[in-house]
Amino acid sequence: MALLDVLKSGESDGPMPAIPSKALMWLLISFTLLMVPQWDRLPIWLIAACAVLAGWRWLAQFGRVRLPGRFLRIGVMLLLIAVYVATVRGRFTVDTAASFFVLAVGLKWLETRTSRDFYVLFFILVYLATVSFLFHQEILWTLVNIAGLGTLLVGLQVLNAPDLPAGMQSGWRRLGWLLVKTLPIVVMLFVFFPRMAPLWSVPLVSGEARTGISDTMRPGDISNLAQSSERAFRVTFGGQLPVYRDRYWRGLILDYLDGETWKQSAYEPYQPPGKVDLDGGVGDLRPAEYDVLMEPTDQRWAFALADSRAVSANIVEREEDLFRFRRPADTSVRYRLVREQENSGTSERLSRSEVRRYLQLPASGNPRARALADNLRNSGSDMAVVQSLLTRFRGQEYYYTLRPPEMPEDGVDTLLFDAKRGFCAHYAGATTFVLRAAGIPARIVVGYQGGEPGAGGDYLIVRQYDAHAWVEAWVRGQGWIRIDPTAAIAPDRIESGLRDAVAEEGSFLEQDWASPQRYGDLAVLQWASLQMDRINYQWQRWVVGYQGQSQMDLMSRLPGGFGMKELGYLTAGIVGFALLMAGVVSAWQMRKSERHDAFRRIVDAWHGLCARSGVPVRHGETPSALADRLAVAKPAASDSTRLFARMVNSHYYSPAPAKASEIKRMRRLLSTMKKQVRRSPTDPLKQHGKV
Amino acid sequence: MKSYMRGRWQRWVNRRIPRSDTQAFQQKNIFILPTGAGVVFGMLLLIMLITGINYQNSLIYLITFLLGAVFVGAMHQTHRNLAGLELTLLRPGEGVAGDDIPFRFRAAAGKDDAVAIVLSVEDSELAPVHVAAGQAVDVSLPIPSAYRGYVRPDRVRIETRFPFGLLKAWSWIRPASAGIAFPRPLKAPDLDATVTDGTETEQARSREGNDHADLRPWREGDMSQRVMWKRYARSGQMVVADWEGEQGSPHWLDFNAFPGTDHELRLSYLAYLVSERDKKGSRYGLNLPGQMIEPDVGAAHAMRCMRALAVWGEEPPREMSREVHGSRSETDTPDQLAEHA
Repeated sequence: MALLDVLKSGESDGPMPAIPSKALMWLLISFTLLMVPQWDRLPIWLIAACAVLAGWRWLAQFGRVRLPGRFLRIGVMLLLIAVYVATVRGRFTVDTAASFFVLAVGLKWLETRTSRDFYVLFFILVYLATVSFLFHQEILWTLVNIAGLGTLLVGLQVLNAPDLPAGMQSGWRRLGWLLVKTLPIVVMLFVFFPRMAPLWSVPLVSGEARTGISDTMRPGDISNLAQSSERAFRVTFGGQLPVYRDRYWRGLILDYLDGETWKQSAYEPYQPPGKVDLDGGVGDLRPAEYDVLMEPTDQRWAFALADSRAVSANIVEREEDLFRFRRPADTSVRYRLVREQENSGTSERLSRSEVRRYLQLPASGNPRARALADNLRNSGSDMAVVQSLLTRFRGQEYYYTLRPPEMPEDGVDTLLFDAKRGFCAHYAGATTFVLRAAGIPARIVVGYQGGEPGAGGDYLIVRQYDAHAWVEAWVRGQGWIRIDPTAAIAPDRIESGLRDAVAEEGSFLEQDWASPQRYGDLAVLQWASLQMDRINYQWQRWVVGYQGQSQMDLMSRLPGGFGMKELGYLTAGIVGFALLMAGVVSAWQMRKSERHDAFRRIVDAWHGLCARSGVPVRHGETPSALADRLAVAKPAASDSTRLFARMVNSHYYSPAPAKASEIKRMRRLLSTMKKQVRRSPTDPLKQHGKV
Repeated sequence: MKSYMRGRWQRWVNRRIPRSDTQAFQQKNIFILPTGAGVVFGMLLLIMLITGINYQNSLIYLITFLLGAVFVGAMHQTHRNLAGLELTLLRPGEGVAGDDIPFRFRAAAGKDDAVAIVLSVEDSELAPVHVAAGQAVDVSLPIPSAYRGYVRPDRVRIETRFPFGLLKAWSWIRPASAGIAFPRPLKAPDLDATVTDGTETEQARSREGNDHADLRPWREGDMSQRVMWKRYARSGQMVVADWEGEQGSPHWLDFNAFPGTDHELRLSYLAYLVSERDKKGSRYGLNLPGQMIEPDVGAAHAMRCMRALAVWGEEPPREMSREVHGSRSETDTPDQLAEHA
């Protein structure tokens, strides 16, 4: 029985209509547009495969090629899915899921035949656009995404009316009006819709390695990072910007030397990613506070100035004055910190295990550096050892360079005594090595140093080339002090940044041709790039960052004390009001258009006259039938009413709407009819009955 | 239960949409619901909202609200697509039973464009038509017919899914006028076997000589022309003269010429004979119980005969629903009940 039903319904639906070429074109354009914001995360093979499959479908539309048969289709499908599975390697993140969507769209091209397939693609692409907001939130990409969705909606219009005459073809205009009319509601919903806390913990957005510092450091690592001008984070200060040389952004600490590689000794157990928490503190910044808006790193570490305390709840403070997110930063995230007074001197002591940890060195290697350390140890106090090491860096011919030579064996020895050329990571590693060999607990700090003011000068932009490594040493009585060998060798790096420090060498961003920062001497370019950044920063802070606490903060400024519940009511109210308004407006428009139709008005007047004469119009009665009945009731008006009915009929059956002259004639006829009706006030039949 | 609900729903719809050859679509008689795609789209919006909440992503909220607003705006637009449109049945069609009978409709748009309007009845559907604001478009809708007689679709559905196909707005027109389905012509058996053959000479003879006539008492169905009124005046007996040759005359196509045959079959035979005679251009008349069409020639005559065959024994469908009297105005009128029983 059920089978029969299915068969029957399949029959009655009939074959679905094929997709018109123009609709397919819009679909392809939209697909291309929606891929653009994802260019940097999609693997090349996937983009290539999608391009080929979409091209195949497009050619097939015009009969140049045939769509593949079932076996070829399944073959292509299996092949691509195999490649996908091989590249994903069991990671499950939004990134891999979104790539799978892209793959699904690509494969769907081969079987996009009917309008139902069009809708399937429509839904996938809409969700793809949604997901792509997890990767990029800049204004530009937002606009590209919205344009892609608009194209999709225009495509739907074409699909639903492929043969529209030119006068009505304005799909964009229709969509535009729709958006203009509904925009106020969208804005109000955006502001007032209650921002709930996340309902459950969701997969990470991305598991891919990103540009940025990592938790291991080999001597050449940071100089690679120095070739990138990508933004790491932006900072707004409540008070004055700190001077350049104080802009040390501590990220993580490397304290274990394994051969040539520095690592973290603290074992960080696996923690499931928590719920997304982007509430980075609200309200105006107090003088010592600062807000960091960090680009996604997919790591848990947050960057902070020394002697900071956490203000916002989405970061937690760890030992060693470091900060960690509760969930890896898989999307851009804002957090707030407060700087405390530098505490000079501490009576704390390192525990024995800590001493062991910060003095760890490989059992052998770098004999000359160890000898140097023995020498320095004789110079007296810990502080004196540090000073004499820095003096050595300052006094001798050490160079700060982005093109250091290879130092494969005994790297520290080679750097200190032979090559004397290196980047911050080399010098920090060597300094830590020597201090430890001299018996002073030391550790490497990795993070960023510097940051340029953005347009307007009210915030700092820190970029990947500001990545830096320096040293902290434990000096008895003073606690951990910062030691930066780079400052001794290339003071420019610390005072004004990498660009000036390597100006002579000309190696600043030498591999990054497209970066505006590379062309520091082009003032216009710099200005434009900074203005763009400012717009994006404001966008990110106020629109993208409009979340739970910021909403509550905004609401608390409104009179009436809005809470979550009130917001819920308000949202329901807005939606209800909008629907009501739409209904009222359309009813009013209908009314107006009816009143404007002169023909209808005059027919209504005739109906009224008939009703007054005792022959109310019946449902569905033809004009001539009504005229006949009126003629019986009011014989004097019989001719005029029959003529009138003929005119009404001829209007119904004529190809063009009634002309003004015809309306005029009908009006005159109607007034004649009224007089006639008045003149024959009684029904002849009734008269007859009285006699 | 389901059929009960459906019955109630249809009666409710019928009350809103009275039978009429012209129907203006407006607020009170337009229905609007999401299509299958619209329902999926709604679920997609929900998923998007949950994604936005879980990732605390404002832009996903924004895009969800934007698309939600597009959905609501589309509802308005789909509705306006149909609202203000006036559909008039210009001419109910005529055709052979079993074929589709074309009904001619005129769609006149109000002050808004009416885009992608689809007229359909049961399983026959027209390609979408577009009517610009203030213009009118004529379309022919084929109405399937199964039997000869009056053909009147209970409801003709008018639907639009423009702009996005996420919502459908629809209504019905319930035409008051009916078209006509002629009996499907079937090759008639040879008349020779059943009636006396009338050659030209025999016929002439029979016309002259009344003594060839068989006299028999009147019975129901006999034509008044054959009653021998003189004899009636004389004796008060109604006597009918069966003229030999008249029944079998090639001038007359007679319903009674096929004794023992089913009525519908007879009508089909007669329809065949009418079209045969018409093709040959010969003169013929039609003799049906209760109706006689005098011999004539020509297309108009053939049409008249076919119509007579088509509606023989059929009641014309009611032009409009009866007016309700008394207090039971809420109860359904009998013909509505009959239609949906």
